[in-house]
Amino acid sequence: MKKTIHIPLGSQHISLLEPVKFKFECENEKIIGVDSDVGFVHRGVERACTTKFKFDGVGYVVARVCGLCAITHSMTYTASIEKMLQTQIPLKAKYLRMLLLELDRIHSHMLCLSHVSENAGFEAIFMRIMGDRELIMEIQELITGNRVQFDFISIGGVNRDISSEHIKKVKEALKVVRSKVDGYIDEFTNNWSLSLKYKNIGVLSLDDAYRFNAIGPLARASGLKIDVRNEIDYLPYSEIGFEMQTSTGGDIHARNVVRLNEIVNSIQMCENILDALPEGEIQTKVKGKPDGEVLVRYEAPRGELAYYVKGGGKPMLDRVRIKTPTFASIPSFSHIFMGSQYADAPAILASFDPCLSCTAK
Amino acid sequence: MKKVESTLENIRDDIKKFYDYKVWHFITMNGVALDGERFEVQWIFSRYEAMDESVIYYTVTEYDKIIPSIEDIIPSSIISQREVVDMFGVKIDGSEAGLYLDADSLQMPLRGCGL
Repeated sequence: MKKTIHIPLGSQHISLLEPVKFKFECENEKIIGVDSDVGFVHRGVERACTTKFKFDGVGYVVARVCGLCAITHSMTYTASIEKMLQTQIPLKAKYLRMLLLELDRIHSHMLCLSHVSENAGFEAIFMRIMGDRELIMEIQELITGNRVQFDFISIGGVNRDISSEHIKKVKEALKVVRSKVDGYIDEFTNNWSLSLKYKNIGVLSLDDAYRFNAIGPLARASGLKIDVRNEIDYLPYSEIGFEMQTSTGGDIHARNVVRLNEIVNSIQMCENILDALPEGEIQTKVKGKPDGEVLVRYEAPRGELAYYVKGGGKPMLDRVRIKTPTFASIPSFSHIFMGSQYADAPAILASFDPCLSCTAK
Repeated sequence: MKKVESTLENIRDDIKKFYDYKVWHFITMNGVALDGERFEVQWIFSRYEAMDESVIYYTVTEYDKIIPSIEDIIPSSIISQREVVDMFGVKIDGSEAGLYLDADSLQMPLRGCGL
C-alpha cells in the first residue's frame, strides 16, 4: 500500500480571501482524495427571511448574502414574488435591472481573472485588472448611489431612474473598459504565463460537466450549453444581444476565455440597453400578499442561482430556499481536483471563482 | 413548475426512471417545514436549454424517518443532501452532518421554521 499524506488548503489561504477548506489526500504531489468544509461563515439568512422580515423587506436581506452579486440575489427573489403576485413590471425597469446585472457580471468576472493572474505570479496584470474594475464600480455607484450594496431593485421595479447625463458617463466608461478588455484578451491568449501554463490544468470534460451538474462559466468552458439567461422570459435578454459563450477545453485557460468573452458580450448588452432604453415608469404598484410556491432561476456571474419561495397569503413567508452557484458546484470542484497536482490546486481553485459568502448564506 | 408526488419507498426508482443526465439538470434538494412533525422533501430539476421548464419530485414525511440517498444516481446531490441534514436535523442515507453547522451552532435551524 502506498503511503499518502494529507495537505489542507484553507480555511485561510493566500489564493482566496474567503474561508473554505479542502483537505487533500496526496500520493506524492498527486491529489487522490478531496474533502471539503464550507460552513465557516454560515449566517442563517434563510431562517431570517421567514422569521424576522416581512416579504417586502426580504429582497434587501438576501442582497446581503453576497457582496459581489448582491443585485442578482435581490433580483431573483424579487422576480419570485412578482411571479407569485402576477405582477407585470414596466419595460424600463426590466432594462435597468439587466443593465445593473450585467455590470455586476463584468466586475465579478474581472475579479476572478485578476485572481487567476495573481496565482500565475502575474501580479502586474492582477493590479491592472483590479484598477480597471474600479471603473465599473464607479458606474454602479453613479447609477445606484452605492458601490456594493445597491438596494436598487424592489418589488414592482427599480428604486432609481437613470438621467441622460449618467447615460453619457456610463457609455464613456464602458468604452474605456472595452478597450482594456482587448488588452486582457491578448495577455490571456498570448502570454505563456497565462495561456500555456493553464492549458490542460484543472480539466472538466463535457461528460463530467453533465454528470456533476456543472453550471456557469465552469460548465460552459467544458462545452455544456447552460446559461439561465437563455432559459427565462421575465427579462428580455433576446432583445439586447445576449449570446451564450462556450469553449471546449474544460481547463483553466478555457474558463478564462469564457469569462473574457462574457465580459465583451455584457459590455455590448449594456450599450444596447442604454441605446434602446424605453421611456416610462420604473415602478408599478404591487398589491396582495404572496400565496403559493414558485421557483425562479437566474444566471449569476458564477452560474445558476435559484430561489424557491413559498407563501401562505401572510406578510411573513413560509420558506425561502436559496440555491447558490458555488455551493452546487462543490462536487464538480472536488472531481476536478482529483488527479491534479497539489501545486496547481490554488490556481484551479481561483479559476472556479468560488463565492463562500453565497455558499455559507 | 410541475410537481410530482412520490413516497420515501419509491423516490429512488421514480428519479432513476425520470433522470436522463443529458436532458435534465439537477438543481438542488430542498425541505419545507409543514408542521412540528412533518416536512416536505423536494428534488428539483430543470430541462437543459428549455424555457423555464422545471420539475419538482416531492414527498411528505416525518422528521424521524430515514430519507434514501440519490447520490449513486446523481453524484452532485450529495452536497444538498448534507445541507438538508444540517438544516432540518434529519437522516439521509450516507450523508454526514456537520457540513454547514458546527457542534456549537444552533442545530436544525429550519425545522418548523416559517410556520
